Amino acid sequence: MIDIQGMCVRKSGRTICSVPELQIARGGRVSILGPNGSGKTTLLRVLSGLERNYEGACTVNTPIRDRVYVHQSPYMLRGSVGFNVTYGLRQHGISRSECRRLAGEWLERFGLLDRATTHVAHLSGGERRRVALARALILEPTLLILDEPLAEVDQEGVTSITSALDVLRDSTILIASPTSIPSSLASETYQLTMPDGD
Amino acid sequence: MELIWEGCGEAFRLLVDPDPLVVDAAVRSVWISLLAVALAAVVGLPLGTLLARIAFPGRSLAVLACRAGMAFPTVFVGILCYSLFSRRGPLGPLELLYTPWAIVCGEFVLALPLIVSLTHGSVKALDPRVGETVLTLGAGAFRRWRTYLSEARIGVTLAVFTAFSRCVTELGIAMMVGGNIRGRTRTLATATALETGRGEFGRGMAMGLILLLIAMGVTVMIVHLTREQQHGNSQ
Repeated sequence: MIDIQGMCVRKSGRTICSVPELQIARGGRVSILGPNGSGKTTLLRVLSGLERNYEGACTVNTPIRDRVYVHQSPYMLRGSVGFNVTYGLRQHGISRSECRRLAGEWLERFGLLDRATTHVAHLSGGERRRVALARALILEPTLLILDEPLAEVDQEGVTSITSALDVLRDSTILIASPTSIPSSLASETYQLTMPDGD
Repeated sequence: MELIWEGCGEAFRLLVDPDPLVVDAAVRSVWISLLAVALAAVVGLPLGTLLARIAFPGRSLAVLACRAGMAFPTVFVGILCYSLFSRRGPLGPLELLYTPWAIVCGEFVLALPLIVSLTHGSVKALDPRVGETVLTLGAGAFRRWRTYLSEARIGVTLAVFTAFSRCVTELGIAMMVGGNIRGRTRTLATATALETGRGEFGRGMAMGLILLLIAMGVTVMIVHLTREQQHGNSQ
């Protein structure tokens, strides 16, 4: 599903991400590990289609419409939790009643059902992260790309994320993290090294 | 000082016991400005968003031109419209000169760069994650545009109110292409100039104060919205 050969991203003449080779099969769950500055976010941005300026070959056999990327620090659109969670569904032409039903289901999985009508400005950092995950997972994308989803999340949050990800059995899931993540979240690991910096 | 008190007294009298001619001019000022700003918003909001989000050759020049347009002297716009609508002008056959529609066109030209520039600024200032988030959630071009405007709604509303405030108080365009015709094209600004020119300082001052009240009302709304924006920028 994903095939990278000698991919390299340079900004201002400096290499910020270098991936000699990476193959990920459909349905794979891979954690992308590496220290800060190793280019984890850049790699995820290339795979999600947000970063197009790279050298080498990067093939992702999924239309951009079926790839969902969740930022390390997710942006909440102005409005309620429910509005945010159903935003993607509405873009895909899902009916209002179906949106409500699915939002209820996913918010419950993340323990946020009672926050559906709360304005996002009143959420904690961990809650925002869970809303962003619910907003992404509700679309059941073919390729789900998560940038450090476990930051600011307590043990209960990790459990709810793990069980929510289990629902997406057919999706390919990439999770970036500076440290190792529970094996229940990812079965394979790709280790990024610091780019040369030239 | 006496003149100001006399004007305030006359303004109060006109507010309590409205003169039909003043009401007529006030209503005309408001509907002409509302229409001009509404039309400018229809064109300016997409244009401002486009300038903020789509890169194309000459974009910086277009942004610069719109910014320069914010400082257009109303008399200059008036002359420009006069040359277009006069008998020998390219739009002369439409016979719009000395009608309220000519003032609407002039105020449209006045409001457009304001709305484009302020919308451009508001959308440009949005967090870059907005575009990426809506793109990754599958929003098409039109829905992305709607989301940008929605996320920048306070700034966009501010742009529309500011344009209305500038239009409702302008004199040059209404005088040049409206002609200050009683019952047809007279606005509060032209009526104020006329009354003052005739030596009716109190009455002129009163109309100016009513105009000021309208502009102040809009300004209060702008301040209120700006405060709301500050409270909302918590993420």
